[in-house]
Amino acid sequence: MSYVDAGYVAALGVLFIYGVSLVLRRRRWERAARASGAAPAPTDGVVPGSHP
Amino acid sequence: MWHDAVLVAGKDLRVEARSRVALWQVVPFAVLVLLLLSFAIGPSAAPLRHAAPGIFWIAVLFSTVLSIQRSVAIESGEGTRDGLRLSGLDPAGIFLGKAAAVFLQLLALQIVLWAGVTFLFDVRVHQVGLAVAASLLATVGLSCAGVLYGALSAGLRVRDTLLPLLVLPVLAPVLLAGSKAWAAALSTHAGSGAEWLRILIPFAVIYLVIGIVLYGPLQEAA
Amino acid sequence: MTPAPPLSTPVRPRWLSVVGLLGFVAMGFTVWLGLWITPPDEVQGNLARLLYIHPPIATVALYWAGGVALAGSLLYLWPRTRSFFWDRLAAAAVEVGAVFSALTLVTGSLWGRPVWGVWWTWDARLTSTALLLLLELGYLALRRVPADPAIRARRCAVAAILIAIDVPIVHFSVDWWQTLHQGGTILDPGFALHVHGSMLWTMGIGFLAFTLIFVWLLGVRYRVEVLQDEVGDQELEVSLAERWSEDTALAGVGGPAGSGASAGSGPFDAGSPS
Repeated sequence: MSYVDAGYVAALGVLFIYGVSLVLRRRRWERAARASGAAPAPTDGVVPGSHP
Repeated sequence: MWHDAVLVAGKDLRVEARSRVALWQVVPFAVLVLLLLSFAIGPSAAPLRHAAPGIFWIAVLFSTVLSIQRSVAIESGEGTRDGLRLSGLDPAGIFLGKAAAVFLQLLALQIVLWAGVTFLFDVRVHQVGLAVAASLLATVGLSCAGVLYGALSAGLRVRDTLLPLLVLPVLAPVLLAGSKAWAAALSTHAGSGAEWLRILIPFAVIYLVIGIVLYGPLQEAA
Repeated sequence: MTPAPPLSTPVRPRWLSVVGLLGFVAMGFTVWLGLWITPPDEVQGNLARLLYIHPPIATVALYWAGGVALAGSLLYLWPRTRSFFWDRLAAAAVEVGAVFSALTLVTGSLWGRPVWGVWWTWDARLTSTALLLLLELGYLALRRVPADPAIRARRCAVAAILIAIDVPIVHFSVDWWQTLHQGGTILDPGFALHVHGSMLWTMGIGFLAFTLIFVWLLGVRYRVEVLQDEVGDQELEVSLAERWSEDTALAGVGGPAGSGASAGSGPFDAGSPS
C-alpha cells in the first residue's frame, strides 16, 4: 500500500470510526435520558451578569 | 495470598478502567516528557537518536511516580485504608495485587512510549528480545519498589512531594541499567546489553521479596 | 415525593443531518477526484494527492476547531453572554479538534516519510502541532474531572484560551523559523507544488468536505455533551430521592445500569478522585 493510500485510509477511516462512535454514544445517552426521565439541561444555568 | 493478590489487582484495574486516569493523564504526561526533553536536547536528529533510550526511561520513571501516587490515592478516602486492613486480606497479597496493577499499566505505557520514541526520534529496536526482557524486568522492579515506597509515604500530608524524593533515587539503578540495555537493543550489532540485565534481575527480585515481607508491617504502622 | 420531571425529547436537528450527508458526498467526490481524476504532480508525483486531505484536515484542526473552542470559551467567560451552550460547544470543539490534530500529524508524517526520508522531524511546525494535540488532550483530561458544572466550565474555558495561544504559533511557525515543512502552498506557488487547474479545485472540494464533516461531528458531539449533563443531573436527583425516601417502591427506579450513580460505597469503590 502506498503512502498516499495509507493517508487516505487513515484519515477517512479514523473519521468514520469516530463518527460512528459519536452516533452510538448519542444513542446510548438518549436512551439513558429517556430511562431516567431527565429534564432538559439548563442552557442558562448561570444568570447572565453574575459570577460563575 | 495469590487469591487476594488477584482480587486487589482486579479492583485497582477496574478503578482505572472506570476513571481512565492513566489513559488520560499519565500517558499524555509521558509523551509530554518526551517532547520536553526533545526541546532541551535540540532539534538535530543525531543527539536525539543517541539520547533516545535515556529519554524513554526518564519518561517511564516519571510516569511511575504518577502511577504510584494514583495507586495510593485510590485508598486515600475516609477509612478506606482501615477497611482494607480489616478486610482480612493477606497484606502480602495486597502488595502483590497493587504491584501487579501498576506493572500492567506501566507495561502498556511502555508500549505507547516505544512507538512514540521510534516515531519521534527515528530509531528502531533491532534486538527486540533484549528490549522486551529489559522492560519486563525493569517494570517488575519499578512497580514493586514503587508500591512499597507508596505505602511508606501513604498517610503523610506531604506525600505528593515526598514520594518522588524517596523513590526516584531508589529507582536510579533501573534507569541506568534500562537505558544501557535499550541503547544496546537499538544498535544493530549485538553488544553488551545482556549484562545490564544482571542488574535488573536482582533489583526486581529484591524489591519483590522485601515488598511481600514488609508491606504488612508498613500498613500496621501507617 | 417530587413530581416526575418532563421527559427530554431527542432533538435531532434536520440541518445537522443534511450537513452530514453533504459532507459525506463531498468527501466521496474528494476521494474520487483526488485519487483518480487529478493528474500526478510534476515534482512529487502521486504523493501530491495528499494535498487534498492533509491541508484541509490541518485547517479544520487549527482554525475551525480552535476558533470555535476559543470563541465558546470567551463567550462563556464574558458575563453578558454566559451560557452553558458556549461551554459545551467549546468542549465538543476541543474533542473533535483533537481527532483532527492527530490526523494532521498522521497524514503529515505519511507524506513526510517519502519526501523527507523521516517520519518525524523536530522543526517548528511539527513540534507546535504536536504541542497543540497535547494541550487538547490536557483539556479533555481536565474536563473529565468531576466538578460542579459552572466551575468545570470556567476551568476549561481558561484551558481552551491557553490552547488558542498555540494556534498562531503553529500558523506562523513556517515564517518565523527555518522549517523542513514548506510554507504556504497556494499563496506562495514558488515551492515544489504548483497548484492549479483540477488540483486547485479538488483541494477546494476537500476543504469543503472536511469542513462539513467537522460541523457534523461537532453537532453530534455537542448533543452528547448536553445529554451527559442532563442524565448526570437526573441521576443525582434519583439517587438523592432513593436515599431520603423510605418508600421501597422507589427501589425500582434506577438510573441506567453501569453509570455508577446509586448507592453502596464500600472500601472497594473508586476513592475520591484526586
